[in-house]
Amino acid sequence: MSTTGLYAYAITRGLDPEAVEEQSGIGGRPVRLVERDGLAVVVSEVDLEEFGEEGLRRNLEDLGWLETVALAHDDVARFSAGRAPTAPLRLATVFLGEDSVRAQLAEWHEQAERALDRIEGRTEWSVKAYSDPSARPAPSATSDDSSSGGTTGEGAGRAYLMQRRAATQRREQTAQEDARIAEELHTELAGLATMSQRLAPQDPKLSGYTGVMILNGTYLLDDAQVERFTRTATDLGERQVHIRLEVGGPWPPYSFSSLDAS
Amino acid sequence: MASDRRQPADLADILERVLDKGIVIAGDIKVNLLEVELLTIKIRLLIASVDKAKEMGIDWWENDPLLSTRRRDQELEEENNELKERLKQLESGSDSGSGSGSKS
Repeated sequence: MSTTGLYAYAITRGLDPEAVEEQSGIGGRPVRLVERDGLAVVVSEVDLEEFGEEGLRRNLEDLGWLETVALAHDDVARFSAGRAPTAPLRLATVFLGEDSVRAQLAEWHEQAERALDRIEGRTEWSVKAYSDPSARPAPSATSDDSSSGGTTGEGAGRAYLMQRRAATQRREQTAQEDARIAEELHTELAGLATMSQRLAPQDPKLSGYTGVMILNGTYLLDDAQVERFTRTATDLGERQVHIRLEVGGPWPPYSFSSLDAS
Repeated sequence: MASDRRQPADLADILERVLDKGIVIAGDIKVNLLEVELLTIKIRLLIASVDKAKEMGIDWWENDPLLSTRRRDQELEEENNELKERLKQLESGSDSGSGSGSKS
């Protein structure tokens, strides 16, 4: 029974096996290629105590562990994507030996070739849009404060209810308007990209931004599309006071590497 | 060309990509982050450390129909329990209160 397995990071084509030697993977172990028929899987050895079924089930619940492995996974994918067409694999793809890696490569050969054709010479970019309510232009009518002075009893109650209703309406309006803006931004950006996707908005606590993430878009760009795309994104971000745009990239093409998509 | 550099704030971006995106092929170790397993992991993460996960910007359960259904179920159950508890208190309250209990 073997105690080490092979953690697979990505499928790649034409990556120099010697070049990968300078990159280390999970736990600082050396990265190498397992090749077959012109394709290669980027792997490194992992301990099966940690990456066996038992270990993975346990460790995946540990966010600290998950973070370390995710960062190492991304490091290797980035390294490879910077040098050759690279389709990253999903986290925690673990094999018992090179033979089974090659068997999988053989089985998925055509789809993998297609996936690599799709992303060759292209990178993934993310654009997030945040709506900051405090920077939003003030609503035209502020009837809230006009509640007739010295209200007590029923008058105060009604004024309170009306205020509440007005606040709810404003919130709904804001949300609708933001949804429309997000849709427009995405449509415009998608028009400048080869492929695009909208991901679920993230929680605001991470980057400490104020406001609401209204768009979490990701875009596959030809190298030739990058400049115009990022320039447009910057311009779009300056169009409205309360909307801020954040462009991230280049990423390895995680979101555009599935084997089944045509 | 993807750059080798990375911003620290990218962690949420990385997690959402490496857990939900990327090519899925069957490894020999059958804990692929697919369907049932992925949901299990999400749920476990949710229960184990909501705050940490939220700090990291992971809020997928809020957008996951299956999970939010489960969460709704859970909320309903909690609400149910609270109501039962409240009912018990009220019943015992009226018993001990004015002696108006129907018993004998």
